[in-house]
Amino acid sequence: MSLRRKTYILLAARVVFNACGDVTLGRGMKQIGPVSIASPSLIGHALLQIISSGTVWMGIAFLLAFFICHLLLYSWADYSFVMPTSAANFVVVPLLVLLLFNEPISFTRWVGIVIIFLGVTLVGMTQPVTRKAA
Amino acid sequence: MLTASAGDILVSLAMKQVGEVTHFSPRALLRAGSRVARIPLFWIGLSLLTFSFYSFLALLSWAPVSFVVPATALGYVVGTLSARFILHEKLGAARLIGVLLACAGVAAVSADQIGWQLTPHMLMMILRWFVMVVACVPFMYYLTCVHAARRFFALHRRIGPVSRDFTPPVSILKPVRGFDREAYENYSSFCRLDYPEYEIVFVAHDESDTAIPVIRKVMADFPDCNIRLLIGAEDLGTNNKVNKMIRLVREARHDLFALSDSDVRVDPDYLRYVVEPFRDPRVGAVTCLFRGMHDGSLASQLDCLGAAVEFCGGALISNEFEGTQFAHGATMATTKQTLEKIGGFEPLVDHHADDFEFGNRIYALGLRVELARKPVWMVYGPETLGQYLRHELRWDIGLRHIRPGGHFGLLFTQGLPFAVLGAAIAPSYPISAAYLFAYFFLRFLDAWTVGVWGLRDPVVRRKFWLLPVRDFFAFPIWLASFFTNRIQWRGVEFTIREGRMTPVVRPVADRG
Repeated sequence: MSLRRKTYILLAARVVFNACGDVTLGRGMKQIGPVSIASPSLIGHALLQIISSGTVWMGIAFLLAFFICHLLLYSWADYSFVMPTSAANFVVVPLLVLLLFNEPISFTRWVGIVIIFLGVTLVGMTQPVTRKAA
Repeated sequence: MLTASAGDILVSLAMKQVGEVTHFSPRALLRAGSRVARIPLFWIGLSLLTFSFYSFLALLSWAPVSFVVPATALGYVVGTLSARFILHEKLGAARLIGVLLACAGVAAVSADQIGWQLTPHMLMMILRWFVMVVACVPFMYYLTCVHAARRFFALHRRIGPVSRDFTPPVSILKPVRGFDREAYENYSSFCRLDYPEYEIVFVAHDESDTAIPVIRKVMADFPDCNIRLLIGAEDLGTNNKVNKMIRLVREARHDLFALSDSDVRVDPDYLRYVVEPFRDPRVGAVTCLFRGMHDGSLASQLDCLGAAVEFCGGALISNEFEGTQFAHGATMATTKQTLEKIGGFEPLVDHHADDFEFGNRIYALGLRVELARKPVWMVYGPETLGQYLRHELRWDIGLRHIRPGGHFGLLFTQGLPFAVLGAAIAPSYPISAAYLFAYFFLRFLDAWTVGVWGLRDPVVRRKFWLLPVRDFFAFPIWLASFFTNRIQWRGVEFTIREGRMTPVVRPVADRG
């Protein structure tokens, strides 16, 4: 597999895992509701709710997969190549939320999404590696 | 924000120590995981990332959201600067613009999160000012040309007359093909050189080449000049000029040689100026700037203006800021030893831009490519406007394949369309007029400094007012060059891929 193709596949996986992780974890925490830290027993109760929530665990699993992809990309690609592409999360999360939960996207956010998309595409078109690995 | 960037950089460095992960089986991933777990940098980086996450949460609890969220956007700038100055990564214009766009986009999303709403009217205002600022970039380019030309020519004029005590023998090599306009004057100008020892070697395409009678007449008229005429060259690749160059170098008697296209004409002190930089052993090649001679047709006048103002202006900018990294067919001078180090001309037999590649490969050896202090003349033949446009398109397509970044950057040298755009969207008539005035003033200043004052080009002096016509055609040609890889060269059609030419119809290309 060519370096560029490998990089694109992992970048795509990383963006998808990151967005799914954020959305799933966010949903899981919303299902639990506001966490009160008024007393140790309330904190304990909240913790119990968190570790028994399948949605939260799914979110954590997604984020773990995201972090592994992130690390793997760093094993060859430039930091300045990988880092800006993480902004794609700002594009995918709102779109995912719109598709899954029908939450509207404001005009400002649409503008941001388009600009981020252009920027990340431009970075993605550059050579992933510009220096020899240490 | 700082700890997040630092943590991410340390994690990235740790992963670079692990090396490129090529297999993604669970076992390979576990092996890579256990290796990274043994690297202290990874744990420090991870701790910093964790710390930054919790400090972000803590900050949210006491600082206003309007302060915290836009800071996310700034993280991209910090990260990019760290990549450049700590990790020494080459950012390049495309990546830099990409990061800035991502940063602007994140800022817009952050603005939405804190309740700042952008209206379509505000967006149009932002876009208008953005375009108006970008429209000034070509003006900056013209001023940079003026600066580079002033530095180059002022420095070289301060040095004074060319030295007469460094005169190694030189072989002047001329690949020719067909009859060029004023060929006799062009060829014979090389016989009138004020230089102690040199030879001229011509190579013609075949016995029927119409250049041969002219060369024979020059040989008869200059019996004291050491001239040889060779016929034909081994067909090693699609670029026939390079095939001839390979034979010429083999036949050259002297170590130092100067190749030039058949339509080049020189002054008697030409060789002294070309040889001068070789006094410095760090110089690997010498090339020349050039000015044009036209036949009176509009197309050849536009060609002359483009050569002197546009090509030489760009060449002077790269010479000033990064050092010349290419050569031009107007003159490609080097020694046989240096040529051997880049593998001779043989690797270039299928290349479209052989002159660019020649200079670029010598530069890659760590040697300098110098611009001779004095330009040569290029004698442009009669051409129609259609031929001129096709040849400009060929040049742009060639550039896109050898220097895609430089080709894209040509956008920001297009002063006329940007000035018209700036004028069209300006909020008032005086500002519109200012854009148009700035274009004409700076473009003519650029032409005067590079062409008239620097190159002492009589065509630019008399015809500088035609420059906007040249600029008018340059933009659509640049746009068109993105959509085709096919070029026409002396009646033969080629496809260019990564700088190499493949004939579409006939097997052999002819040039020079």
